[in-house]
Amino acid sequence: MTGLPRALALCLLLVPGSAPALTVMDQTGRALDLPAAPRRIVSLVPGVTEILFAIGAQDALVGVTDFCDYPAAARRKARVGDMLAPNLETLVSLKPDLVVATRSGNREETFDQLKRLGLPVYLVDEPPSIAGVLRLVGGLGQLTGRQDAAAAVTAGLERRIASVRERVADRPRPRVLYVLWPEPLIVPGRGSLISELIASAGGESVTADQAQGYPRMSLEAAVGRAPEVIILARHGGGTGPAAREQWRRLESLPAIRSGRLYAADGDLLHRYGPRVADGLELLARLIHPEAFR
Amino acid sequence: MTGGARLAWICGGLLLLLAAVVLGSLLVGAAPVAPATVFDLITGRGPGQGTERTVVLSIRLPRIAAALLAGGALAVAGAGFQALTRNPLAEPSILGVSGGAAFGVVLGQVSGLGQGIVEALGLTALGFAGALVAGVAVYLIASSADGLPVHTLLLAGVIVGIFFSAAITVLISIVDTNRLGGVIHWLLGSVAPIPPGSLGVFALATAVGLWLVLGQARALNLLALGDEGALELGVDALGVKRRIFAGAALLTGTVVAFVGPIGFVGLIVPQALRMLLGPDNRVLVPAALLAGGAFLLAADTLARSVVAPAELSVGVLTSFCGAPVFIWLLRSRIGRTAP
Repeated sequence: MTGLPRALALCLLLVPGSAPALTVMDQTGRALDLPAAPRRIVSLVPGVTEILFAIGAQDALVGVTDFCDYPAAARRKARVGDMLAPNLETLVSLKPDLVVATRSGNREETFDQLKRLGLPVYLVDEPPSIAGVLRLVGGLGQLTGRQDAAAAVTAGLERRIASVRERVADRPRPRVLYVLWPEPLIVPGRGSLISELIASAGGESVTADQAQGYPRMSLEAAVGRAPEVIILARHGGGTGPAAREQWRRLESLPAIRSGRLYAADGDLLHRYGPRVADGLELLARLIHPEAFR
Repeated sequence: MTGGARLAWICGGLLLLLAAVVLGSLLVGAAPVAPATVFDLITGRGPGQGTERTVVLSIRLPRIAAALLAGGALAVAGAGFQALTRNPLAEPSILGVSGGAAFGVVLGQVSGLGQGIVEALGLTALGFAGALVAGVAVYLIASSADGLPVHTLLLAGVIVGIFFSAAITVLISIVDTNRLGGVIHWLLGSVAPIPPGSLGVFALATAVGLWLVLGQARALNLLALGDEGALELGVDALGVKRRIFAGAALLTGTVVAFVGPIGFVGLIVPQALRMLLGPDNRVLVPAALLAGGAFLLAADTLARSVVAPAELSVGVLTSFCGAPVFIWLLRSRIGRTAP
């Protein structure tokens, strides 16, 4: 190699920002220029943590939130705090080359702070849907160079989801009330993942007509829609059992009279992660037990 | 008209108002139930099961009962504190007494007290204890050689309130961020259907508090003359004050335990009644009981219907009404005492 081209090549390398090694689109359609495929990712989203483990990219994951409790190995990763207020010092000291975050759960202030620190942020938000979860698996596969593993995970999820849909097709669709939070009563509205999961599991969510994703609703309005099945979300705090009593007292309600008051692990249903198929199967078994005998 | 007859007329009128509000509250709601069905269900002739029965008997009715109890108790507690401090601005939430009660109740909630009867008793006791501690603290901070100066008393109440709300925040942060949403919702003050057993505890504790305050209405009038004046007329001023204070604190603690710290009811209702009926506590205190119930029930009915199918916290509405009243009172009082 002669001197001139070598010098030119050197210059190219030294010019900052020129010719990034990798340009990726995050789920919001924003282009991210990365110097190289990320090797040190901090995940601020529990569902993303689950996906990275599912596609075998866990070695590139260096930090997670306090809520990232699945799979068990995720608990052994360094923690940066909760989703609303991650500890920036801890986060920076992990020397991440990418932070994966969500607008529903993390705060804008956190994104601004990360931007000022020069850390690229990959946002996972798109209108929530089962298809969106599958796209996220693919996107994270591409990001971490695990496309094949991601494709295998996606195919497996698609198969299980299709199988559930097939089993419940042509069955009567009972009215389902899903309770995200009992006090105040928060329910899934139109355009929430849970509403789609309930529909795919062969139920008709009585709150799916609400414009917001997760609206607050009065107990009377919810009960007035005469739900035939009531499903209470259990959260990490274990608020399920106490609220169960409160519902059981409404004994004239169709769902309570026929003993169709259930509790479900919310982590399977609220997280945009690979366990969404488990969540769907759980819902389908609760709504259509006869289809799974 | 004799005092007894006047009291009877006033209470009769207020009872009619109360009945009208109860009726309205029974008929209004997010779930459509025909008025005829509501009447059938209330009189025991309605359908034995079904959604409408649940809506009317398990949701609307217990909620109405809770709102009536809480509103009456808060208004009587407010009238009691006002007579006790000889200050028209005294009120459980402004005096920091609600804040103390809320701290006691949150302490119980984070240590896992749930919805049973025993738990309801425990929460009531904790609310009462918190109200007592806060009330005594405010009194000790504000009292001076010349009694309880108005502004010092209010400031002491504000400071004690801030202290306890900080203490509540610490409690929640330590324990479980998962419960944060629930506790914040409760701190706004919301009337929810309470299970029958706990409602019984609510009613009983309220009755004891009412007995403590109502029984002293005559002595409260004499206290308005000042301690010496009262003593000359044969009133044990300290004893009466202690009893009123215990009663008002019990009422506040109980309400906070069951529906959260709802503010300003104890301010608006006695104030409006004082303007309408005059300062005689023998009329004012029983009237406050009825009018307070009607006021809070009306506010709660609004809270659950204006944004249906969602609902507001009733504490938000009472604060919206109460804050302007408080400002107006403060201004007019300053105007009067200005040199």
